[in-house]
Amino acid sequence: MLLSIQDLKVAFRLGKEHGEQQRALAVKGVSFDIPENSTVALVGESGSGKSVTAMSILNLLPTNAERSGRILFQGRDLLQASQSELLAVRGKEIACVFQDPMSSLNPVFTVGQQLVEPLITHLRMSAKQALVRAEELLHEVGIPEPKRRLKAYPHEMSGGQQQRVMIAMALACEPKLLIADEPTTALDVTIQRQVMELMGKLKDKHRMSMLFISHDLGVVGEISDHVVVMRHGEIREKAPVADIFNAPQDGYTKALLACRPSLSENPARLMVIDDHIAGKAADMDHKAKDPDAPVVLEVSGLKKSFWLKQGLFGKREFQAVKGVNFKLRKGYTLGVVGESGSGKTTMGLALLRLHEQSNGTQGGQVMFDGRDLLTLGRAEWLQMRRRIQVVFQNPYASLNPRFTIGQTLREPMEIHGIGSSTADREARAVALLVKVGLDETAMHKYPHEFSGGQRQRIAIARCLTLQPEVLVLDEAVSALDVSVQAQVLNLLKDLQDEFGLSYIFISHDLAVVKFISDEVLVMQNGDVVEQAATAELIAAPREDYTRRLLGAVPRGYQGA
Amino acid sequence: MSAAAKQSRGVWALAWTRLKADRVGMVCLWIVAAFMVLVVLTAMDVIAGNWQKEIGVPNAPPHIVGPMPPEAVGAIEVPKGPNVDLSDIDPLAPRYAEWEAAASKYKTEEITRAETLPLGADRLGRDILQKVLKGAEVSIVVGLLAALVATFIGTLLGAVSGFFGGKIGDLLEWVYNVFTAIPSILLIFAFAVIFGRGVMSVVLILGLTGWTGIYRLVRAEFMKHRQRDYVRSAEAIGASSASRMFKHILPNVSHVALVQLSLHVVSFIKSEVILSYLGLGVSVDQVSWGTMLSEAQSELILGYWWQLAAVTVTMAVFVTAFALFTDALRDALDPKLRGLE
Amino acid sequence: MTAYLIRRLWQMVPTLLGVVLLVFFLFKFFGGDPAEILGGLAATEEQINAIRDQLGLNEPWWVQLGIFLKQIVTFDWGKSWATNEPVAQLFMSRMPATLTVMVPILLLEVLLAIPLAMGVAYVRGSLTDRAVMISTTIAVSISLLVYVIVFQYFFAFRLGWFPVQGWSDSFWTNLTTYTPLPVIVVSLVALAPQTRLYRSFFLDELGHDYVRTARAKGLPEKTVLMKHVLRNALIPIMTNVSVLLPGVFVGSVLIEVFFSIPGLGREILLAVNRSDYPVIQAFAIYLAAITMLVNLITDLLYSLVDPRVVLK
Repeated sequence: MLLSIQDLKVAFRLGKEHGEQQRALAVKGVSFDIPENSTVALVGESGSGKSVTAMSILNLLPTNAERSGRILFQGRDLLQASQSELLAVRGKEIACVFQDPMSSLNPVFTVGQQLVEPLITHLRMSAKQALVRAEELLHEVGIPEPKRRLKAYPHEMSGGQQQRVMIAMALACEPKLLIADEPTTALDVTIQRQVMELMGKLKDKHRMSMLFISHDLGVVGEISDHVVVMRHGEIREKAPVADIFNAPQDGYTKALLACRPSLSENPARLMVIDDHIAGKAADMDHKAKDPDAPVVLEVSGLKKSFWLKQGLFGKREFQAVKGVNFKLRKGYTLGVVGESGSGKTTMGLALLRLHEQSNGTQGGQVMFDGRDLLTLGRAEWLQMRRRIQVVFQNPYASLNPRFTIGQTLREPMEIHGIGSSTADREARAVALLVKVGLDETAMHKYPHEFSGGQRQRIAIARCLTLQPEVLVLDEAVSALDVSVQAQVLNLLKDLQDEFGLSYIFISHDLAVVKFISDEVLVMQNGDVVEQAATAELIAAPREDYTRRLLGAVPRGYQGA
Repeated sequence: MSAAAKQSRGVWALAWTRLKADRVGMVCLWIVAAFMVLVVLTAMDVIAGNWQKEIGVPNAPPHIVGPMPPEAVGAIEVPKGPNVDLSDIDPLAPRYAEWEAAASKYKTEEITRAETLPLGADRLGRDILQKVLKGAEVSIVVGLLAALVATFIGTLLGAVSGFFGGKIGDLLEWVYNVFTAIPSILLIFAFAVIFGRGVMSVVLILGLTGWTGIYRLVRAEFMKHRQRDYVRSAEAIGASSASRMFKHILPNVSHVALVQLSLHVVSFIKSEVILSYLGLGVSVDQVSWGTMLSEAQSELILGYWWQLAAVTVTMAVFVTAFALFTDALRDALDPKLRGLE
Repeated sequence: MTAYLIRRLWQMVPTLLGVVLLVFFLFKFFGGDPAEILGGLAATEEQINAIRDQLGLNEPWWVQLGIFLKQIVTFDWGKSWATNEPVAQLFMSRMPATLTVMVPILLLEVLLAIPLAMGVAYVRGSLTDRAVMISTTIAVSISLLVYVIVFQYFFAFRLGWFPVQGWSDSFWTNLTTYTPLPVIVVSLVALAPQTRLYRSFFLDELGHDYVRTARAKGLPEKTVLMKHVLRNALIPIMTNVSVLLPGVFVGSVLIEVFFSIPGLGREILLAVNRSDYPVIQAFAIYLAAITMLVNLITDLLYSLVDPRVVLK
């Protein structure tokens, strides 16, 4: 056994209230082992304590953390180790790769300078030897022109390359254990696949063990040997990966597995944790959509570019969206998929004319109810605005922290004159809150009292106060935990059925897009690469890029 | 969830709760409040109304030091004995009787000048305790009003510049650049020449030159917030620019402005001291902590330290309390800014 | 790079123009009548008018502005109305005194604050840290004037370690005899807020992810602080220095008046009290130009300190 964690408890000191030290218990007694030469995945949603557990091993926690229990590594208890013993283990026997490579690398030192540090500190190499070894390491992780890249700064590299540098830095002293804390979460889907494959390859080659932390069961299923599932600071289940996927024992594990939208299955509604624990089966009953529904939105040649300063006095045009065409029918959903920089968000915001204040030009036509939205005057646009609404990605930023929920919901109605009196508006707001799954007491509360999923529902309710016809959802579920995501997606489907709403669903997650959309647009670098009905696109993609995107989606455990 | 019973706390209510738990912060709040009460009482002439009266012996020491030994006054020996009779050669002699009669109609008030006063006396014999209180009123009022002026200008211009950007942003940036290119001393002197001396002059001088820091911060905040999703959402539902600026963004930025206001109160009180020393502060017939310190320099050389001590200690107590209170306020409003536990 | 320099220099023009306009109009419409001031108390009406003609004050304001602008462009700063000394000469003769005092102050307060702040950041949260924070807060609440008065009284008047006031013609004498007292007082007083500020920079950097990576690599805490954190903290420190640097050229009016140092600051005060317009206007423009040049230089230095900065 390489590493054995026994009854680990971690509490955070929060400051004194009435003279007593307040504490928050993040990890409540966790025990598991990491064998030699194997990958153990630590899986959980946000707040499960998985990162805290991993960071406790090397004591990389903030100063207000208190640990108890035992962490045995090579016969020593790391929890009792002195600072110098710990320094000898960090970076040499056990190394780390973190989630956000851009902020985890020091921005003012070159890649080479940062790579040689562990080599000089632990292996006592001279500067020259270390640089040579650094170049070899860069080559091993697949960075082209390694010698030149040694002199590069982190911000000059892409996210994927930065993460490779982090991996190289971690492998420098040939550690026995690699702790990887959500290493691929911040990367684009195609890059994610490359980095995962790299890590798997290197692990085999160096005969290392890996502790892989993630919230994504799909990723975990592909690369791990053992899986430990955590929730609220406790372990719910730990077993070899085949057992977890094929025969999960714990209710929470089963629910986690079931509520992921997947590319292969086709449920009408996603399972949520509570459903699963209650033993319900998946709902496969699809309501058919009316093929003759009227076209609500017709977009032709939509273009958007920005001016960038260049040279002495000139400017350069950056084309974010180069020409998008689609027709959206009433009650249908158009999914827009792409990686970062594809222009999908810009397109969505351009439809709503939310980019007006930034410098740039717009082109094309957006026909809605017989009028071109892009050329409407201010007064007319204000009228039309209510009929197309938007839900943004970050639930923590889309509600004004100083407004009560009641104020947030009443404001749009007051601006557009909906409702006959304040009492009437309050009643409408409460009705909508109930519809999205909250209750009347929410009206007097502030956003910080709600979770991410609840805030997204409030954002949806706010849109609904205007009784819109089209809703643009810009990565609306991307920041939510998997189980919460399922609830919100189900809610969106229900609302669509009830109110006949049309959605433009923008996301980078192809599995989610597949679940909710009727037609899919694939974007790359401002162009539409492929456009087809969902089933057709998934089953028989025509373009290379689409195939790559499909291939990059983590599939979970694929069998022995 | 005891949702129905618990009243929801807004940001200010939460901040107040956090502040109440901070013992140092609360102590400082009480000290500042006590000073404010003194300021109000002094302004209404309830106390320290007679600071200009010369009730003490010049440079009388404080009670705890005890009266000055009489030799220190350096009086000339008065000769004893009756006056020599000069009435035959004295041209004014016939008139003396007349004058004595006229003079006896007037009463002369003999003020016994005190040998020691609670905090001592300045070179004219004025009570330092009363001067310190009156000076506190003037200095604190100057600091507060000037800070209010500067914060108002800085916040308004910063909001407009940060929110709209474009041409009007450029124009305001140009104004900012011009004001910051000129060394602030020069600007202060220039305004001093225009406005002359006096309390309101100092308020205007400091307020009109001190808005630049607040402008910079508020502008950056508005630029940051106008990109945020909640403002975009407000735009999407049709809220007007004014509504977005003042109903949506300003409440989220007001804590920054509040902290800046407090910081500027402290810095303006200290600036007033320097201005008064250089002769550009409050007018000659008023007293402030600055004028008192100006007098202190010459007094110290003669060995009279009481005015310097009184002002320094009083000012230090107030400013320290105010500064610590500002820190506590900042922590209460945004715990993330707390300097790591 | 040249393109950047040209664009920046070009951008300075509107600001300088703004400074000129501000100074011109401030004194034109609000200042006292210079002719009366120059004429003196006993001047007659004709004498004052004659002076007015001479100074061109009877022309309409736009003509006067034109004359003023022409003077600036041709670097003809005119003569002081009070002493008849050419303003340019006045400026150059006062500058060295100011610099002799201000440059050591800037160097001391920055160079001493960095290790002090690092030390305090290293022991953050401990009793030492809290004690330092509280003492600096109290120290900052006392006016500079008090420190100067007390220091001068004790160290110059009583103990005689330094001269009470004065200046000489020799640079070396000035540096070793007359500047130590003002420099020490001001540096010590400035050290408190500077240390607090730099401490906040260090603490800020300590919260960043790259610090966790450095620790994960097995680097001792001292190395983390002195190599990784310091290098990043230099960026806000540079910003701070660039804010303080223009002040070096203006000088501290308080110090110069207090210690009778013939520097720019004191000269400005004298000029203001005498309504000596040519001096005030010229100084304002000189100093504004210097401020802008200093800002440009520090922006260039930024690109050396922060590799993410691209000058375009």
